[in-house]
Amino acid sequence: MSQIYKREMVFILAGVVAFVMILDYFFGKNIPGISGAGNLSSTLQTWALIIQLMAIGLGAINLIQVHYRQISRKTNMALYSAWFMVFFAILLLLGFYKLATGVEPYPYTWIFANVYVSLGATLYAITGFYIFSAAYRAFRARNIDAAILLIGGIFVLLANAPIGEVIWGGFPLIGNWFNNVGQVPGMRTFTVVGALGLLAYGFRALIGKERGFYSEVQ
Amino acid sequence: MSGQNIWDKLQNVDRRVFYWILFIALTVPFLSPIGLPITVTPSTQSFYDGLKSIQPGEVVVLSINSGVSAWGDCLPAMIASVHKVYDQGGKLIVWSIGYTDVDITWAKIKEKLPDVFSKWKEGENYVYFGYCPGQETNVALLATNIRAIYPKDVRGVSTDQIPLMKDINGANKIKFVLSSDTGDAQMYYIRQWKNGQVNYEKTGKPPTVAEMGIAMNKSGDMAYYLSGDEFGLVAGSRGAAELEALTGYKGDATITMDSISVSHVLLVLAIILTNISMFATRGKKK
Amino acid sequence: MIENIAVAYPTDPLAIAGLWTALFLMLAIYSYPLWKENPVYRFAEHTFVATALAIGIIVNLQSLMNTAVTPLMKGSFLMIIPIILGLCMYFLLVPKQRWVSRYPIAILVGSSLGLGIASNPLPSIINQIISTVTPPKAGTAVWAMFPGSPTGDWFSFAFVAVGCVCATTYFLLTYEHTGPVKPVTIAGRYFIMLALGAYFGNTVLFRFSMLAERGQYILKVLGLVPL
Repeated sequence: MSQIYKREMVFILAGVVAFVMILDYFFGKNIPGISGAGNLSSTLQTWALIIQLMAIGLGAINLIQVHYRQISRKTNMALYSAWFMVFFAILLLLGFYKLATGVEPYPYTWIFANVYVSLGATLYAITGFYIFSAAYRAFRARNIDAAILLIGGIFVLLANAPIGEVIWGGFPLIGNWFNNVGQVPGMRTFTVVGALGLLAYGFRALIGKERGFYSEVQ
Repeated sequence: MSGQNIWDKLQNVDRRVFYWILFIALTVPFLSPIGLPITVTPSTQSFYDGLKSIQPGEVVVLSINSGVSAWGDCLPAMIASVHKVYDQGGKLIVWSIGYTDVDITWAKIKEKLPDVFSKWKEGENYVYFGYCPGQETNVALLATNIRAIYPKDVRGVSTDQIPLMKDINGANKIKFVLSSDTGDAQMYYIRQWKNGQVNYEKTGKPPTVAEMGIAMNKSGDMAYYLSGDEFGLVAGSRGAAELEALTGYKGDATITMDSISVSHVLLVLAIILTNISMFATRGKKK
Repeated sequence: MIENIAVAYPTDPLAIAGLWTALFLMLAIYSYPLWKENPVYRFAEHTFVATALAIGIIVNLQSLMNTAVTPLMKGSFLMIIPIILGLCMYFLLVPKQRWVSRYPIAILVGSSLGLGIASNPLPSIINQIISTVTPPKAGTAVWAMFPGSPTGDWFSFAFVAVGCVCATTYFLLTYEHTGPVKPVTIAGRYFIMLALGAYFGNTVLFRFSMLAERGQYILKVLGLVPL
């Protein structure tokens, strides 16, 4: 009995919400109270959005726990963790000031524009280095499959770079064909197969067969 | 070390050497741009044709779902598109469903288009709503009730009091969506706006979707472009450079193409070198 | 042709300090691949995590106020339910009462699944199949190997149609790929390899564009190119 509200009720709730969304999508115009602003589907979507917005606190608590552990155990990363806590607290206070007064304090704007933006762009761009060394070490035509991968990659590379046209007129011709047509069978297959997989997974989740995201607890 | 020939040594080069060569190769071309010609691909041409079809007064949504890290690929296309919307006399609604640094991106677009934003009036010609997370749930809600997600714009003005938004509260009055994204955001608009069961008044036609995103979207989105779910596809800095050539606005993407040319040739040479060394050492090992 | 608008180098000391701080942090991060792991890189990494987390919280709170708190204050009392459900998410941290967090997760999962299941088949399956079997219209530029060539159009159409069938056969895992099916699956693998090669080429463009933008930033801060 105690398991019903811990498991079965949860599956039923997810199923009902999903069913309302599906009804709204296909029949919403014909069923009063389901579709449109302020009605059931829209209300449930707003609730889902609000729950999503509140979930970021979990990530924050987890990170703070990790860094607190580093500081309390005085590991070699303790100093960096301490810096993380201090800087996080300062920025959070500045942000709360912004929320309370509606005015963005200049230090917050300054840190956002010069620290967050720069570091975010830099960390994302660092993968450019790794792709170069990975291509140098691993991109070898060991067999037919790898050779096809290599040929496709090189032609697309030289079609994307304007210098490819200068080197040989065939590079943009063949490379653009690979981009517009050659890759379509593979990519279209990924799309279709992925969508079929999502459908299968979705139905399994709705009938309670997929339990991974409900984090089974004794 | 003894017994190692040039091919063995090439295969064991410290990767930091490559990183330095690459970084210098990417940076130096900016000092003296060459400006090689750029041929336009059909997907970019369709995108431009879509922009040209905007009639005065028609409303277009610009959904900025890419961060500062993707500025190299996405920002020039956004700048060129906004300029073209202005040229055509269209109106713009701008928001983001996925990235916190959209404020910086929008500020950069306005900074790069002083001739547009000195004449455009906020609230009448364009409105900027800022960021609200929620991905597809957000997009589904926006299709029928924009005010539920954005009750006011970034200035704090209530959406009901914004002249541009007077008759607009969903997808039914929007001509099309320009989605600038690094992943799947354009799919949300295709699924919820273009194909969704929204009550389309007057035109009876749902808004169409065009993508101006990162270069990888050229692969992922080509199937959707060919099936007609997207009317245009501008992908990567190359696509943005093509759009700049079509719109007549020479921006950062065109300048970046020299750097891309040098680095791509470098990579191709590296790949050819590694394959030659593989075949050379393979014969030796046999 | 309209040229790129160059922004003047700032004169305000705080703005200049901001540019150079951004440059220092950028070089701190690049010290890792270009040299080796070092304390400056660690410092910059931790700075980013702290900044990203704090800004994420503030932005989410701002959106929460707009979508839930403000309507609640204005009389929309139903908004208390999602707020309570959102707080129930934090029971994930309490081992004995973790089951409480399943309810808000159920709404999230149900909402996403419902939206995905309903809306995905049309663009991702049906339209893709229609597009595969629809012959090319005359002069459709994207199809042609040689623009304006009907032969090119039909070759490309046949390529895509055959390729899609072969590649889909490769993913059919419910029976063994032997006999007459084997060459079809091998061909499917080659079509997939071609797609992955093109994907690699486009990925390189993306990654190098990002890195080029960072390289350009160094030159901008040093004043060697316009800001």
